[in-house]
Amino acid sequence: MSLHLQSNITISRRGLVRRRDFLRLVTAGAAAGGLVSWQDVMAESAPLLRKQGMACILLWMQGGPSQFDTFSPKPGHANGGETKAIATSATGVEISENLPHTAKVMDKVALIRSMNSKEGAHPRASFLMHTGYLPTASVKYPTLGSIVAHEIGDHQFDLPSFVRIGGRGPGQTDTAGLLGVDFDPFAMQTQEVGRLPQNTALTTTDPRYLRRLGLLKDLEADYASSGGKQEVADHQKVYAKAASMVRSPKMSGFDLSKEPQKMQDLYGSTPFGKSCLLARRLVETGVTFVEVSLGNWDTHQDNAERTKDLCGQFDQPYAALLTDLAERGILDKTLVIWTGEFGRTPRINPRAGRDHYPRAFNMTLAGGGVKGGQVIGKTDSGGDSVTDRPVGISDLFQTICHSLHIDPTKENMSSIGRPIKIVDGGAVVKEVF
Amino acid sequence: MFRRLLLLQVVVTAMLGFVGAAVAADHSNSLEVAAKVDASLLAELPSDAAKPMQKIGDEEFLRRAFLDIIGHIPSPEEVTAFTLNPASDKRAKTVEKLLADERFGENWGRYYRDVIMYRKTEDRAEIVSGQLEDYLKKEFNTNASWAKVATEMVTATGDGTENGACALIIAQQGQPEEVVSEVSRIFLGVQIQCAQCHDHPTDRWKREQFHELAAFFPRTASRLILTPDRRDISVVAQDTFMFRGRPGMANRRFVGTAEHYMSDLKNPTDKGKLMTPVFFATGDKLPLGTKDADRRGSLAKWMTEQENPYFAKAFVNRLWSELNGEGFYEPVDDIGPDRACTAPKTLEYLAKEFGKTNYDIKWLFRTITATSLYNAPSAPRRNPDQAPMQNNVAQRLRGDQLFDNLLNALGVSEPQPPGGMGARGGLYGRRFTPRGNFNTVFGYDPSERRDEVAGSIPQALVFMNGANVNAGIRASGRTALAKMMSQIKDDQALVTEIYLRVLAREPSGKEMSTCLAYVKKVDNRNEAFEDLQWSLINSTEFLHRK
Repeated sequence: MSLHLQSNITISRRGLVRRRDFLRLVTAGAAAGGLVSWQDVMAESAPLLRKQGMACILLWMQGGPSQFDTFSPKPGHANGGETKAIATSATGVEISENLPHTAKVMDKVALIRSMNSKEGAHPRASFLMHTGYLPTASVKYPTLGSIVAHEIGDHQFDLPSFVRIGGRGPGQTDTAGLLGVDFDPFAMQTQEVGRLPQNTALTTTDPRYLRRLGLLKDLEADYASSGGKQEVADHQKVYAKAASMVRSPKMSGFDLSKEPQKMQDLYGSTPFGKSCLLARRLVETGVTFVEVSLGNWDTHQDNAERTKDLCGQFDQPYAALLTDLAERGILDKTLVIWTGEFGRTPRINPRAGRDHYPRAFNMTLAGGGVKGGQVIGKTDSGGDSVTDRPVGISDLFQTICHSLHIDPTKENMSSIGRPIKIVDGGAVVKEVF
Repeated sequence: MFRRLLLLQVVVTAMLGFVGAAVAADHSNSLEVAAKVDASLLAELPSDAAKPMQKIGDEEFLRRAFLDIIGHIPSPEEVTAFTLNPASDKRAKTVEKLLADERFGENWGRYYRDVIMYRKTEDRAEIVSGQLEDYLKKEFNTNASWAKVATEMVTATGDGTENGACALIIAQQGQPEEVVSEVSRIFLGVQIQCAQCHDHPTDRWKREQFHELAAFFPRTASRLILTPDRRDISVVAQDTFMFRGRPGMANRRFVGTAEHYMSDLKNPTDKGKLMTPVFFATGDKLPLGTKDADRRGSLAKWMTEQENPYFAKAFVNRLWSELNGEGFYEPVDDIGPDRACTAPKTLEYLAKEFGKTNYDIKWLFRTITATSLYNAPSAPRRNPDQAPMQNNVAQRLRGDQLFDNLLNALGVSEPQPPGGMGARGGLYGRRFTPRGNFNTVFGYDPSERRDEVAGSIPQALVFMNGANVNAGIRASGRTALAKMMSQIKDDQALVTEIYLRVLAREPSGKEMSTCLAYVKKVDNRNEAFEDLQWSLINSTEFLHRK
């Protein structure tokens, strides 16, 4: 039973066929004896497993972390503030003293110091960093997790292919968009981490649950025969999938108490630490994409102190995640992305804060075939501008696609039949691999 | 020129005044127009499809009309009263009654709120969504002309939390290109934004024409207000500029620019080409230097004139599609001149008549609900090779309709968030209410083709396992079911009552025997009826408007 009731053949008057029309034509042409489902048609060609076993974890630093106080310290320059640099396990690579655990795993990390864009407002920049496109009213560009779930997710998998932990909540504009609700993130609140997500626990005994589903099926017959055949068939597929999800043994992937204490200690007991541990468990269970958010990086005031605190929240879990994935032998197949929507101003403002700065910022990639222990790109001595190997957002998306074996030139259709490339422009940052 | 502009403002003002007066006007030719629409449709459809339509039964009609007009299903009492009423004009009378119900404006205010807000390019525009809903509710309930609503949205200024008409501009951050794309899509049904970056391959619009349209909005901006005691977004307009706008400023539109420039795609750092405001649909234009109020006022006037071929058609096409399940053009907001129309003469006629009423929204509801197609049986969406508009097509309910449906079925009033509604107070007040949370899971963009709107796993989980649903269907305590069970001892009568309450109809003979057999098999009255109510709430029919 597949979760994916839709496909990307949602095309219209421009000579292609929409999903429903296609489905009806197939149905109409098929021999009698029940509906031929869309996924029956698709399943013949669909790969049954997560494509090549690749997965991705996005650690989203909402608000825009200061590059000077995370991965690109500038001690000795006025712009660098008080933050000192420390040596790491990667020869010649120094990062901020706020990240002592991370320093020990930098041999696994490719650090890009030359990220740049033009977007300095949170919503637009967050959308750009999640989709590779700027928001427009007419095309709903899909977010990275949805793209990855759509392209390489296991469409027969019991659990959702894309789980989003935390984040900006309702109103967040980056969703599956034109790819359809099948690829929307399965959203969890941070406080839910560790137990079963909302509405996934049965409210009755299992036999009674099945009995109810049976009654529901029997009572649908009249509606189906009076013109609702297709709606009932679609509805029952969603319900069958939802029921098999909540009854699946794989749901234990959400249960952190199954982890040994030693492992829980490794990640730490902070909400972000637990979320990272959950991300690893879910990926191991077969989930393709997990996004974990850590907020409050918008340090317009007291930047140094607040960034230090935030670094304390991600440092240990981040190092734990890379170490753990490596020890389990799945780091090569799991791309771990750490980024925010932009960086922060080189000048420290009168409130000891730093403001939005998209012109030069940093982010990291690890796992998924990434060659660790290296730095890509440079900024000038004060961190004002990129002086070597600038990396744009499209370049980053090309690079992510390369790691996950996704064809960035593939086109999906917008609701009015406009073909939208997964990535528009840019080039793979080859040194990353 | 100045004289002309002055005159124009007078005309716009006079028109607004006239619109106010037109509310009470009686446009009583709905039945006549509906009959002509029927005849026209019959004549335009392929000859083998041209046969008189069947008429649905009273129960089906009532649920359909209730959901379409006020967004709620009828109560068991209303179903019974309606089916027993022998009057021949009871359908029209019911439509009239529903159009006078406050919930009409609420339902359609929420609909157009979604039309606008699902396309927002700024998350924070959510701040003004509640005010937008209130504004629209009022306009629909007072039967404001659709021209008045369009004019107010296009010419809005002020704080979004005070003036709901500002929301369209705020949702697009006041960026001229995005704002005009939405104005054109929503009010004209023309997707001219495809020409934003290049001449469109299959459309007649040139890139230049798109930017000429954007040139009505350069002096307008959307300003985020973040002070310790106030958070808001304002639409501001200005006509004097300390310094000229420069390229690269476009994303930070705290202030507008004097004129609009079309960027040079080969040289993005160049200032681009200076654009004169020209309205593509009529060819009307304004000189450079025109003040903001005149730019937007003129655009609103030209847009809503009866000479404009798109304004009336766009609204008629959308409403026809919502009420009959199939638009003349699909999707509903793509009716440009290079698109195929199912029955062009019929649409043309109905749009013209709608124009003659000065865009009287309730008139259009009356007229479409009186057509044969609206009263036709429900059928699934047709195959592309089948004749169009043979049946009324079932559609999935929108989030708000479904939420009200659920409250109704469970017999509970709308739950308030802890700490009260905070409707005006909380920044995202309405988004985090139980209704807002429900809409996050169940809502969809109403401009999408309805047969492309799919159900999702999280939706199924809410209905299957949600704590509120499962508490609400219990046969004990203070639930509606518990009350019914103690009052109705006869199982057959109880099954009927539950069907009426949840689906607004009586069960068929077959359904009745399935239910009674189930009750017998389970051998526990409470459990059996809990399961029945659960099954009906989780059914396909519950989620749809047939």
